[in-house]
Amino acid sequence: MTDHIEGAEITAFLDGEIASEDRARVDAHLVACAACGREWAALRHMKRVLSTSTRKTMPAELALSLERRFVSGTPWWKTPAKPSFWIPVGATAAAALAVGLWMSGARAADELPLEPLLAAHARYSAEALVPEQDLVASAYSDQLTAMYSDAPDAELE
Amino acid sequence: MEKMDAQTFAELIARTGDKAYNFAYRLSGNEPDARDLVQEAFSRALEHGGSYDPSRPFDSWLLRILNNVFLDSMRRHSHTRTVSLDAPAPVEDAGWADLLPGDEPAPADELVKRESVDILQKALARLPLAYRSAVALCDIEGMSYEEIAQVMAVPIGTVRSRIHQGRVLLRKTYEELEKSGGKTS
Repeated sequence: MTDHIEGAEITAFLDGEIASEDRARVDAHLVACAACGREWAALRHMKRVLSTSTRKTMPAELALSLERRFVSGTPWWKTPAKPSFWIPVGATAAAALAVGLWMSGARAADELPLEPLLAAHARYSAEALVPEQDLVASAYSDQLTAMYSDAPDAELE
Repeated sequence: MEKMDAQTFAELIARTGDKAYNFAYRLSGNEPDARDLVQEAFSRALEHGGSYDPSRPFDSWLLRILNNVFLDSMRRHSHTRTVSLDAPAPVEDAGWADLLPGDEPAPADELVKRESVDILQKALARLPLAYRSAVALCDIEGMSYEEIAQVMAVPIGTVRSRIHQGRVLLRKTYEELEKSGGKTS
């Protein structure tokens, strides 16, 4: 068969946009003509790929931005805050974060095991690596040593 | 510009928001530009609300404005790699035999499985603007030829021709991109 159907007519047939009086003729031709049938299948495939592709939905912040511009009486919580508002808020948040991190670090230091510290102090005392008068804390260390040496092992863990 | 009440606005967004955004994304190929297009289209629509004919669907009118905003922006940024609106489509210069698919059977379901969103969007972005709008409105937005003719302000015969040529070219580009792993040449 040499008289192929015009491609745009196949497209219109595919889209249901062909005149009803032409529908049967095109339908019959597509069945009879392999080349036009392949063209129809290829166009249908492309249409399916497009029509089943994931749709984008309007982001919420875009809808909100439009609402601010075009809706009268937009409530205060939807009003855009200016930089003069956000700068101190950001600075306060950063300061709070820094303090939190510092306190977290301090707590970690408090949780250092006492045993190695006491052992080190006792070694320094025994070996006289520092002058006697500088071992101001040694009495306190001795007390700690006495206190923890009597304590059950579980308390030291 | 007159402002509207919250309920009217909410209905407007519910009815047209996603459609406008998706169309803008298909035209521009990226979300930041799609946001700008939608912002500008809504601004123009609401500023020139007096020119709206209430006997016609609002979404068609909005998409027409959006399409015009996009064409304006592309004309302003003519340095972009996108083919111009007036550029002849490669399919117009190609022979019919070049455009027909091969003899190998290509079951639609199998090909649909191979669909890559990225490749599809890249292929769409390579279409001449007029074809891109027509194909997106027909196949992605599901509009009739008559509605597309209103949006694009062209006769229905032109819509039919653009959709056909757009699909043929899109398929060709899509397959080329698939073969090259989505890399643009």
